[in-house]
Amino acid sequence: MNSVWQDIRFGIRMLAKNQLASLVCIVALALGIGANTVMFSMAEAFLLHPVPFEDADRIVALTDSRPHQGIDINAVAPATYFDWKKEARSFDQLAAYAWREVNLTGDHEPQRVQAFGATANLFATIGVMPEKGRAFLEEEEEPGRDREIILSYGLWTQRYGSDPQIVGKNITVDGKPFEVVGVMAKGFDFPLSAEAWVPLSVDPKDRVDRSSRWFWVLGRLRPGVSLEEASAEMRSISQRQAEAYPETNKGWQLRPMPLREFVTSTLTRQYTLLLLAAVGFVLLIACANVANVQFARVTARSNEFAVRTALGGSAWRVVRLLLTESLLLSLAGAAASLLLAQWGLKVALAHMPPDIAKFVAGWKSIDLDAEAFAFTLAIAVLSGILSGIAPAFLSSRTNLSETLKDGGRAMSSGRARHRLRSTLVVIEVSLALVLLVGAGLLVKGFRGLLNVNEGYSPSTLLTMNLTLPEPRYAKPEVRRAFHGEVLQRLGSAPGVQSVALVSHVPYANGGDLGTELFAIEGREPSERGDLTDAIIQDTTSSYFSLLHIALVDGRLLTDRDGAETPCITVISQSLAKRYFPGENPLGKRIKIGGANSDTPWLSIVGVVKDVHYSWIVKEEVPTIYRPFRQSPPYSTTIVLRTTETPLLHVPVVRRELAAIDPELPLYNIKPQDQVIQESIIGIAYVAVMMATLGIIALVLASVGVFGVMSYAVTERAHEIGVRMSLGAKSNDIVRMVLSRGMLLTGMGLAIGLPIAFLLARALSSLLFGVEATDLDSFVGLPLLLAAVAAAACYLPARRAARLDPLKALRYE
Amino acid sequence: MKVRGGPVAPLIQLRNLEKSFEAGGQKFYVLRRVTLDVQRAEFVTIMGPSGAGKSTLLSILGMLDGAWSGEYFFNEQPVHKLNTKQRNELHKYNIGFVFQSYHLIDTLTVYENLEIPLSYKNIPHKERASLVCDTLDRFNIVAKKDLFPNQLSGGQQQLVGVARAVIQNPKLILADEPTGNLHSAQGEEIMELFKRLNDAGTTIIQVTHSEKNAAYGNRIIQLRDGWVVSQDTSAAAHTSP
Repeated sequence: MNSVWQDIRFGIRMLAKNQLASLVCIVALALGIGANTVMFSMAEAFLLHPVPFEDADRIVALTDSRPHQGIDINAVAPATYFDWKKEARSFDQLAAYAWREVNLTGDHEPQRVQAFGATANLFATIGVMPEKGRAFLEEEEEPGRDREIILSYGLWTQRYGSDPQIVGKNITVDGKPFEVVGVMAKGFDFPLSAEAWVPLSVDPKDRVDRSSRWFWVLGRLRPGVSLEEASAEMRSISQRQAEAYPETNKGWQLRPMPLREFVTSTLTRQYTLLLLAAVGFVLLIACANVANVQFARVTARSNEFAVRTALGGSAWRVVRLLLTESLLLSLAGAAASLLLAQWGLKVALAHMPPDIAKFVAGWKSIDLDAEAFAFTLAIAVLSGILSGIAPAFLSSRTNLSETLKDGGRAMSSGRARHRLRSTLVVIEVSLALVLLVGAGLLVKGFRGLLNVNEGYSPSTLLTMNLTLPEPRYAKPEVRRAFHGEVLQRLGSAPGVQSVALVSHVPYANGGDLGTELFAIEGREPSERGDLTDAIIQDTTSSYFSLLHIALVDGRLLTDRDGAETPCITVISQSLAKRYFPGENPLGKRIKIGGANSDTPWLSIVGVVKDVHYSWIVKEEVPTIYRPFRQSPPYSTTIVLRTTETPLLHVPVVRRELAAIDPELPLYNIKPQDQVIQESIIGIAYVAVMMATLGIIALVLASVGVFGVMSYAVTERAHEIGVRMSLGAKSNDIVRMVLSRGMLLTGMGLAIGLPIAFLLARALSSLLFGVEATDLDSFVGLPLLLAAVAAAACYLPARRAARLDPLKALRYE
Repeated sequence: MKVRGGPVAPLIQLRNLEKSFEAGGQKFYVLRRVTLDVQRAEFVTIMGPSGAGKSTLLSILGMLDGAWSGEYFFNEQPVHKLNTKQRNELHKYNIGFVFQSYHLIDTLTVYENLEIPLSYKNIPHKERASLVCDTLDRFNIVAKKDLFPNQLSGGQQQLVGVARAVIQNPKLILADEPTGNLHSAQGEEIMELFKRLNDAGTTIIQVTHSEKNAAYGNRIIQLRDGWVVSQDTSAAAHTSP
């Protein structure tokens, strides 16, 4: 123990003696470790603790999927859920919930609230009960007995002023009185973004429906039952259902998964893993830099190590001494990294809009907790060992007698060390290139997502949502009249150039627009039951000009397409290509839902260019446009083209709509460019992080190149003196040094390019606007890296050219 | 094979020791069939022209160099049969080195330089402190204990080098040109110190070009081109070719 303390004391002394080199190492390690700590904190929150429930590993989500059609996760039909409840044995509890938005009116401003219909046992299943009041009772799931509501803590404080007597009071929900039976604890918002819960009541007709999939099912595993065992049981039940009900269940596969996997989107998982790999690369580059510094130090101290060995020090003691120094460096780097990580997390958390953050599972639990500290310590130890082990082992293999008999002159570094140092630089350059290419592609992808929408000037569009409550607007003619009045009032409001109604604007709902099934007249379903699905847009004729959607064939929707005229539709070009390849779709008929559903057949009258509604999928999503007068919706988005800053028109819009119905809340009131930016902010985050990591990697790699070349010049001082004395000019020396440095850089680029290409292929399959053979990334960025490396080599080259030959010849 | 040379076996016995290296397909010998004994408490000088193999022989005797052939017995132990770890243990506890360039560790104080060989023997801290203090006192360098080597004169540094070599009470001291970087007065001091150590029973083998230094010993071994050409116990023997 005492000898360990001796090594520590000596290590501190040695690091203090070489302050500049130590500082360079500490900064490099701080950046590498800090980046890893930040990503660990995020990955831990997203991937390991996205939900703060006890025994979350025992909660399983049971979803449907159609892998061959790219549907990873889908809700199940009500009848499926009720069958499972009867047959499944692997679960203590099986519960369900469904999305539901409600309007709160009455004694406060009308407010649109994200609610969820929940079965009575949902809270028991996830193990979190209301903090005030109670959960729902089973009988409250019966239609007509379902007028109860549980509030979130946020809604209770924000709308009801934390009224301590709220439980038992009635509030108006969608025009009806609901009794508040409970309030959840602070911070609870499951399912994500929930502000209120109502009983999940299902009509007898819906209970046996197997085609509409809108139930999300969770189960708590029975004690002693594993996920694999439960999955096997559920799959066999699902198989029996598919055989019994082929029309609705064919092609669907049960996909059970742990709750934490369910709540974390595939994209979040993929990008988190990408960033974890990226910060790992940065750490490797930092360790390589530190290793190179340690090599230089070891070489300068070879005499000392020979003496220590001659005095009885074993190889292990010498190695331990050097590893102690490396560990001291990495621990100092780790201490600095915690400050960096704290700052980094603060910045990341501050810039995420709350409207988006509430949809990211685990976002609220991102923190520098004890696990992050432990991770930082572990990474520091690993970095210390990684960066110190090779120099330490090489130091223990000094030729003792050669080193000691030369009058105390330090040994030259030896070919093995020189090769190792060069290899480290090559690795640094290749890793830096991969990071830079990844960053470049992500930035490009992000800009592509912005640019694809620029055609319709989103900054001058104001958008907002409204949902008509069912009781008052149950009749289509009432809804039609309402929408007509909205169009007329807003169309003549000052500063409004044009107005349209549409179901969803591009990138609404976080860019995740759902699709619905539709049938094509005369087309038999495929053998494996492939779905024909599309985004359904109920819209006004003005929408196409508002968004500059060009007509490809046929005609657009007009104001004459109303309730009394034949049912028609306009489809997107992607729908035409996918479902009518080689045919003219005009005049063909489609209907929403299955072929046997009671929705009307729609004649295709026009084909329009695609609009990029969803950034989550790379390809365009087929879209069906229906005239709003023929299918007046409950929920719609109002889109206004304004002459000036869109938000200035909000008071006018509120006033006009209040004049029609004062109890209707408007929500998601934003300029369209804000909708787009908030929707793709996740990509923006990833792109900024990758760009930051890329720049750090570039700086570290160029410092690495500089360090190696600088040391090489020092080592070769005698040789340079000889060359100069034999007639070499300054340019010859510069060329000699530069060519060596560029050779190493070139090797790094040659290794990094294929790896970068693989990364590019992976990213291009994920992101719109990214191509695996992107010229800017594969030519521009390597050239940038080469230029920076050349600059890093130039300084040592110039120093070499300025050496005094006489001094160089005497150099030892 | 264990060789016995009398009632008390020599401290060192070399039999047909050879060292060579290959270069360009040819074998070059540094030492050729070196056979000699060194008795306990002897003061032996190894002399010869540059390139004769003196320092190499010293390195082998000190077990710093393991690439040789032949037989080497140290205190009746067959060094040629030991592995690296065993050799290290043997030299750690029995041999002290004094180098021409002192080879003090620049970043350690005088006290710490003396302590280093003790710490490699896992001697407890208190005992180490006691040994170091005794040695500082013995060599009259207590006042210098907190100084760094670059704050000492050449003679003082070599004094510390000798103190470091003897702190562990080795059976054998190997000195490679111990006065090579000192002026004559300092060199004399060091040689007198060696004489005193030898009189106290420490076996000393030195490599030197200096006839004056050689006179302190009681035997001279002449090396030439790797061969032992003579071993003379008389002080005048260094004059023979």
